[in-house]
Amino acid sequence: MDRRSFMLGTAAGALLISAKGLAFAQEAEGTAPDLNNFPRNETVIVHNPEGVIRNPSWFNIWVNGGGGWSNGLHQLTMDTLWFIDPDAGIPEKSENAIYYSLAEGPWEYNADFTEMTVKLRQGILWSDGVEFTADDVVYTVQKQMETPGLTWSGAFSTQVAEVTAPDKYTVHFKLQAPNSRFHGTFCVRWNGAWIMPKHVFEKVEDILSFDYNPPLSLGPYTLHSSDPNGTWYVWEKRADWDKTTMGLVGEPKPKYVIYRNNISTDNRLIEMRNGNLDMIHDLSPEGTFSITKDDPQVQGWFPGFPYAHPDPTLPMMIFNHQNPKFQDKRVRWALALMLDAKAMSMASYRGAATLSAISIPPTGTHPRDYHAPLQDYLINYEIDTGTRKVKPYDPTIGLQIAEMVRPQFGDQVPTDETAIRNSFGYGWWKQDLEAAGELLTAAGFTKNGNQWMMPDGQPFAFSVMVPQEGVIGRLGVIVAQLWAQAGVQATAEIATDSWDRQGAGNYECNIAWAVETWGGHPDISFFLDSYHSEFVADVGAIQPGRNWMRWKDERLDAIIEKVRAVDFNDPKSLEYGHEFVKLHLDEMPNIPIMSYNVFSIQSNRYWTGWPNADKPYANPVTNWANAKYIFTQITPVS
Amino acid sequence: MNSYLWFVGKRTLQLLAVIFFGVSATFLVTHLSPISPVEAVLGRMTARSNSAPEAIIAMRAALTELYGVDEPILNQYFNFWLRLFRGDLGPSLLAFPTPAMVLVGRAMPWTVGLLTLATLITFVVGNFLGGLAGYYQNNRLLKAFGIVAIGIQPVPYYIVAFILLIIFGFLWPVLPISGGFAMNVIPGWNWPFISSILQHAILPAASLVLVGFGGWFLGMRALVSNVVTEDYVTYAELAGVEHSTIVNGYVIRNALVPQLTALAMALGGVFSGTVITEQVFNYPGLGSLLIDAVNAGDSTLVLAVSTVSVTAVALAIFIVDLLHPLLDPRVRAE
Repeated sequence: MDRRSFMLGTAAGALLISAKGLAFAQEAEGTAPDLNNFPRNETVIVHNPEGVIRNPSWFNIWVNGGGGWSNGLHQLTMDTLWFIDPDAGIPEKSENAIYYSLAEGPWEYNADFTEMTVKLRQGILWSDGVEFTADDVVYTVQKQMETPGLTWSGAFSTQVAEVTAPDKYTVHFKLQAPNSRFHGTFCVRWNGAWIMPKHVFEKVEDILSFDYNPPLSLGPYTLHSSDPNGTWYVWEKRADWDKTTMGLVGEPKPKYVIYRNNISTDNRLIEMRNGNLDMIHDLSPEGTFSITKDDPQVQGWFPGFPYAHPDPTLPMMIFNHQNPKFQDKRVRWALALMLDAKAMSMASYRGAATLSAISIPPTGTHPRDYHAPLQDYLINYEIDTGTRKVKPYDPTIGLQIAEMVRPQFGDQVPTDETAIRNSFGYGWWKQDLEAAGELLTAAGFTKNGNQWMMPDGQPFAFSVMVPQEGVIGRLGVIVAQLWAQAGVQATAEIATDSWDRQGAGNYECNIAWAVETWGGHPDISFFLDSYHSEFVADVGAIQPGRNWMRWKDERLDAIIEKVRAVDFNDPKSLEYGHEFVKLHLDEMPNIPIMSYNVFSIQSNRYWTGWPNADKPYANPVTNWANAKYIFTQITPVS
Repeated sequence: MNSYLWFVGKRTLQLLAVIFFGVSATFLVTHLSPISPVEAVLGRMTARSNSAPEAIIAMRAALTELYGVDEPILNQYFNFWLRLFRGDLGPSLLAFPTPAMVLVGRAMPWTVGLLTLATLITFVVGNFLGGLAGYYQNNRLLKAFGIVAIGIQPVPYYIVAFILLIIFGFLWPVLPISGGFAMNVIPGWNWPFISSILQHAILPAASLVLVGFGGWFLGMRALVSNVVTEDYVTYAELAGVEHSTIVNGYVIRNALVPQLTALAMALGGVFSGTVITEQVFNYPGLGSLLIDAVNAGDSTLVLAVSTVSVTAVALAIFIVDLLHPLLDPRVRAE
């Protein structure tokens, strides 16, 4: 063989291998759609934030099999008993942001919350025409309980003692222990325990390896076609969409919904400008400022700056309470008073942050239920520094940030005070280095030059675990810098495994979130219940979830137990929520900073009527299952 | 012939040793990763759901058992080799229970197709022009190529990729910027599908060719600059042999041997994927698969991609080693 033959052979071989391989890669799926079948006045194109879906033909959402979740599967084909909107919900179609979906009304508990009864809707059909009944719910629960590894197997096996169907449209649960929030497992916030079609799964021998392709739908759309490489999915409206629970809300307007994933941030912006995307899950702050400036058809949640939708998630500085450095609340408060809210807002979100001084996200209906009513309490709130009493709260921080960004963004920045408070937050702590110093001194710290020393004479030094990228990463770094400037040796530590280490308690201080709420409903058990001391792991053991700081307090336990003893909709639940906020202020177990603002944007080029801060009928963030309600409210642009 | 067979045998043993140690090292590194696949999956399942702490504890125990990650590392290592001999690397934890090799097989054609073509185009154009530039050292056009090659080569790849993206995707949107093919085509052996693949490959391939061209060009020019001073070239010129024959038959041919070794290594490296290309152009392939697997702590999948990559590089070098004595008499003599 000579060199020429070698090279030609190599080239030909590679071409053959790749061509054969590509053909092989496509064999897994049927045909792709012809784009002519998707006229834009009938088709909405949605950005799904997932990367490449590695097992694209896997639709068994009850097993983590590498399929997509937010590729339209859980938004358009799944259903369960109730939905709770992270925002206000569609007026008259929801009650206090709660949609009665497969359940025809609210949950019914017995007096001691050991049993729950649910009345189901009649006349709801799976996409193969089989009627949905109580048998499907019972099967879903029992199958999960007996099959470890299924997505909700832990939830049911630890809570349910028995589930039965007294009749075709009634389900009765006996619980292992009193639990007034058991219905939450069947409430969709981002997702919920989706109901399985019994008549399909009961014939499957090994449910853990069953791909459920094509998926049966209990929602208003069915799978039309998908990319064998896992980057797009097309869903088509069911002719009998009115036989799903969507029939109670309204007709979804698009005939087709296309979900596209694995699109990098820059490409998303370009694709929307080129008319190839109607909804983007998220952009960077800078990308949002750019596209909203250049394209008047593009909108964010707020009509102007800061554009982003505040998620019901609350990024915060989380202290490890099992580390002696953070066990004195005066130290934690001192660290809070060393921070500069304006610097944090500018460094993370370029000013487009929605601040929260309390441990409740400033989003959904929470400003109405928590932030506004607690303003006077916060304004008058005092802390004793050991030297004097100070009022640390500054209710004007949001207004100050609005003025800071006004020169750059001009008319895009609201002028109305209420609008500013909703966009930028109600207020935050004043940076008060003097008071912080007094608190540290009272806690036995001393100062050596500009360096704070702990009572044992060692420098007050710790690491701040920061995720690799994104606005939260930027926020963590600026916080560490602010502490360093104030004389604390805080060092930002970029960690790729911050989630694992947070669970394992392998950190000193961490930026993440230990608070997530329903958003549209004032009940805060979504995160609060996991704060009970019974769940706090020992040193070295893994914390099961949300109390990442491992905060223990008898008063906290008492509040949680009071919440457990009242119904989800009981007004007392809100009262106890306020009690929690006040206890949190007294202890400052973590430092809440701002909501997780998602720069979700929509284009009005082909479709209009998207939700926004003025019409907050749904969460615009595309990967939430509640996003399906948006499709009933939008209309094509003529 | 006997000595050649002895040489082949020796090289084969070396090949097996390289693969064994390479794959073993990869196994060790992937299993020492601090990222737990159970926690990654658990995070995905429960992060945004209403999950009670008891439920999370129960799920953690179930997934740990299901994935078999609680076994001692020596057992896992032993089982890994047993499975490997059967051609099975085990199930991906990212897409459990799908075999990791299925995911690799799905991603590989895209990477191999794109990178092989880009590498070969770059190799042919870069070496040919580099060879000419080394021989015709006073040619202005070839000098200009040299300046362009020197100018582009140090530019970071992602800058070139982004410039192409902005020009052809945004300012003058004539080329697709995302994915491997369009939604409006039927996959299979038909022209619309093939042309769609080619269209989608233009920008990623162009970015690779633009950046890669300079290295081959400059390397070949330097090699040829040395070869042209050899006596046999001077003799051929004095004997009136045509310049094109001298360039193609004597100069480039002799200078090409080390470049072929580099080509083999580059082709072997194709199996590692190109992470930035795939990220910028959202191109399906091994690079992004590897990143996803690392982030998810999916040691089986990382191992599958790495094993393919290690084996491909080792095999490529092995083949070149075997071919060298056949191609170059000087090596044969040694």
